This record gives sequence, structure tokens and C-alpha cells, in this order.
Amino acid sequence: MRDLSLSESLAESEVTAVARPLPGADVETGGKPERSALRTVLGWSRPSIWLPCLVLVGLLAGGWQLYAVHNPYVIPKIQQIFSSLGDRPGFYVTNALTTLQEAMVGAVAGMGTAFVLAVVMSFVRVIERAVLPVAVVLNVTPIIAVAPALVVAFGFGETPKYIITAVLVFFPFLINSLIGLRSVDPLALDVFKTLHASRMEILWRLRLPSSLPFLCAAARICMPLSLVGAVVAEFVAAGKENGLGTLIVTAASLANLPVIYASVVVLAIMGISLFLLVVLVQSRVLAWHSSQTVKDR
Amino acid sequence: MKAPPSPSPSPLKIPTTPHGPAPSEVPSAKDRLVIDGVSKAFGRGKDRVAVLENATLSIERGQFVSVIGPSGCGKTTMLRIVAGLLDVDKGEVSIFGEGVTRAIEAKHIGFVPQSPALLPWRSVLDNVRLPLQLNKRANEWDDRAAMDPVEVLTAFGLGHVLRRRPSELSGGMQQRVAIARAFVSDPPILLMDEPFAAVDELTRESLRYELLSIWQSNMKTVIFVTHSIPEAIALSDAVVVMSANPGRIQQIVQVPLPRPRGDLLETTAEFHELEDQVRFAIRAGRSHP
Repeated sequence: MRDLSLSESLAESEVTAVARPLPGADVETGGKPERSALRTVLGWSRPSIWLPCLVLVGLLAGGWQLYAVHNPYVIPKIQQIFSSLGDRPGFYVTNALTTLQEAMVGAVAGMGTAFVLAVVMSFVRVIERAVLPVAVVLNVTPIIAVAPALVVAFGFGETPKYIITAVLVFFPFLINSLIGLRSVDPLALDVFKTLHASRMEILWRLRLPSSLPFLCAAARICMPLSLVGAVVAEFVAAGKENGLGTLIVTAASLANLPVIYASVVVLAIMGISLFLLVVLVQSRVLAWHSSQTVKDR
Repeated sequence: MKAPPSPSPSPLKIPTTPHGPAPSEVPSAKDRLVIDGVSKAFGRGKDRVAVLENATLSIERGQFVSVIGPSGCGKTTMLRIVAGLLDVDKGEVSIFGEGVTRAIEAKHIGFVPQSPALLPWRSVLDNVRLPLQLNKRANEWDDRAAMDPVEVLTAFGLGHVLRRRPSELSGGMQQRVAIARAFVSDPPILLMDEPFAAVDELTRESLRYELLSIWQSNMKTVIFVTHSIPEAIALSDAVVVMSANPGRIQQIVQVPLPRPRGDLLETTAEFHELEDQVRFAIRAGRSHP
């Protein structure tokens, strides 16, 4: 590992969320930029990195606690939230897994459909003209308004939850896929055309890889958004299945504030995990992209 | 085919050069790239601009021809028409006796665009492999031997960066990769659209002589669009000077300098004379449009 001055390594670790390759370190590693996760972690261990955030969190927690002590029926004390979590960890995990499963099935279905449609639309203009307005209408319609009807149609099971989640992530992924599939270097496209590449070859070898940065950006939005979809769906169709949304609604009807906020904490952790998962995948898939390497200053 | 009457120069023929067929032979259509009375306009109605008007040019197999002229003279448009990237409004292009579409289908054209246009997710080696992977049917059509990508890259002085990504290379090296990519499927024709426009002057000069030495060893037919007069003369058998508004072929300056040429060529008196000739031709094109 290259020696770095203190300020240099600090500056680097501030810029990169994902470890950056060492410049010039790729000759022996066969072109794969070497990822120095160790250095990133070391960078994060420096107080100047985590202290500002810690101070802010501390201040917010203090304010919360102060308010909770005087208004116990508005928000619970922090220790109540965590003791609720600590008392029944298995209970929260079971509910979290239900919500996670709904969110992931919905997300995969929504994003998959959106991507396949985007590919078809980029091939056939007529289909784009047909589908895009419908997609826009679907997007501007508050899907929650349809949720009760979906419950009537599909019952209190998982189906309406999948549908709501899928519809929620569908549009952002569709639009990003469309833009991604079109954001092709026109001169590279010229090279493909002068070689008489087929449309499938252009799709696989040019359009798809070019769209990856856009797909990753969309996934960063859609994965946490799918949790919103699943929770909202559970609000509407609460009653039969478990799940964190169901749990929140039930706890709210009993004015059990610690359980509500404990569920929110679990959801926050799930959201962060999903986001980090996408960032991790992205750092593998997009190692070539400029978003993953900081240019020399 | 009869050339339509027009104010533009009559069909210009570039005479054969020392390495071409003997002057006494009349080269058949199979040995010529012919641009015959080609016109192209963009826009409609009032906004219609004639970018290329009645361009006629005949290039023999194995010749290196540069196209030079002010911005908007249609030189890139002409190149893109030969590359099959644009359709003509009028006229015809024949590449060694076949149409542009057919030449493209057979992968007879190597195209080097203005910027390297490499695929950033592929290594240098995989970028150069690309032409062999696309449109594979054409690989067996002729008896030409596709080259080994590693050998081509080594010939261009890139043997040590095969596994690197393009973003890790300098601009000059990226441009070399783009040229190597055009060479690898061994197309008989190379079309180069200001390939050295984006690199600095020093790199540009060394690239010029690298290209020259590689070209001298396998003699492809080249159309080379450039803004640089010395570049055009150093490389070419003939320099096509174009004028703008509308884009026309103004004059064709022959470059009878002997081959093989080295980098001392630019110090000779003949070279400077030819430079002046091209310069005057460009000026003449400006003064009476």
C-alpha cells in the first residue's frame, strides 16, 4: 500500500464511499483495480470523519429524550424503544422478514417488468408511444388510493402487497432504464454500425453495459422505496399477515409507542442495509465507471 | 454513368503511385473506391443546407488520401457517407465494385472516429477484439486473415497495457487502441475522421509516423479527414482540398513524395512546396465560394 499523508488520506476517504483503486496498481492485478477496503475502514476510523455526525446524533437524541421525559404520550424514551427491541428480538425479526419478503418480491417484479419493457420500448417506438403515457398515469396516481380495492380483489394475503410495491418501484426504474439504454456514446454506435452489428449485438454489447450506471442509480432509489411500498400495503391490508407495517398499525391502536418506534428503527436498519447492498453490487458491476474512481486532483 | 452538368470540377482521378498498379493499366471498378456525384443536404425548406454538392472522387486500391478543408466543407459528411452512416441525396458510392451496404455487411470498412469511442467497461484487449465478435458471419466471407489482437496491439506499442481499462490510458494511447481496433479485422478500407484531433501536437506527430509505418507495411486504402496540412501531406498520396458553403471538392493536390517516408520528410523543400500548394488551394476555396 502506498504511503499517504494524513490530509491526503482523509481527503480521499471523505470523497469515496466505496474504496477507490490505487492509481497504477493494476499492472500486476490484471487490470482489475485493486480495492483497498482496509484503507477505507481505516479512513472511517479517524475522528474527523465520524465525530461531526456523532455530535449531531447525540444532540438529536438528547433533545428527543428531553421531550420524551415531559411528554410520555407523544414519543417514548429511547431506552423504552431499545428495551422493546431487546425483549423480543425474534418477534421483530419475524415481522421484519415478512415485510422484507414482500418488499423484495415486489421490487424484483416491478424492476424486472420495467427493465424488460424499457428494452422492448427502445426497440419498437410504437410500444414506447403506447406504454409511456400509461406508465405516467400509473405514476401520478396515488397508488395507496387503489390499495383498498386491491385488498377487496386479492384479500389480506401477500398479493396486494406485491402489487403495490411493484407499482411503486416500476416507474423510476422504467424511466432510468429508458434513459440508460439510450445514453450510448454516438461514436461507439457508429463503430458498431460500420461493422454491421445486429440490433441484438448493439443491445448486449453496447446499450446494456452503457445503461448500467443508470440502472444502479435507479436501484439505489427503488430498493429502499420497496420497503415503503410493503409497509404502506400492510397499513391498508393489516389484520391477517404479520409484518412491520401491520405491527405498527396494531401497536398504534393500542397506543404502544415503544413498539411503533422500535419497528421504525428496524425499518431504518433494513433501508440502510438495502442501500448499502446496492452500493456494494454497484462497486463490483461499475468498477469501470468514473463514479467509482475519483479523478486525480 | 454520365456525370450531371455542374460547376464543380469534373471527375477527378488520382494517378497511380509507385506502389499502385502500373500507370498504363486502367484500374477496373473492382480496384477503385468511387464517389460519383454525391450530394447531401441537411434540414428542410428554408433551413436546408447543402453540406456536400456533387462530390466526385476516385481512389485506387492501396492509396492513402487525405481530405482537408475548413469547417463545414462536408469532409466528415463525405466520410460518413462512405462509412454507410449517412444516406446520399444524389449520386452513388461504389467500394471496389460493390455498394456501401454490401461493404459494411462484409466488414470491409474499418472506421476510426474523432474520439477513440472505446468501451470503458472492456479492457484494451477486449476493445480491440470487438470487431471480431460482432457480425461474425462476415468473418469467413473473404479469405482475409483476421489478425491476432495481441499482435496488433503490440505493433502499436500497446503490448504492455492489454489488461488495462481505457480510462487508465493517456489520450494518445486510447487513440492508438481505436486505430488498432480498426485494423484487427483486416478491412481493405480504413476511414479515419480526424483521429488525432483530440491529442496534443507532440503525440500527434509521433502517431502520424506510427500510422505511416504500419500503413506502409500493409497498404490499406485510406480516407483520412484532417485539419492539419503537414499531417495530410506526410501521410498521403493525394490531398483532397474541399471548400465550404456548399461543400465541394476544390482541388486535388498530388503528393509525389517517395515512399517509404520517414519523419525527416517534413524538413525537405518539396514538402514545404506541397504545404504551400495545399494552403493556396484552401484559400482559393475561401475567396470564391
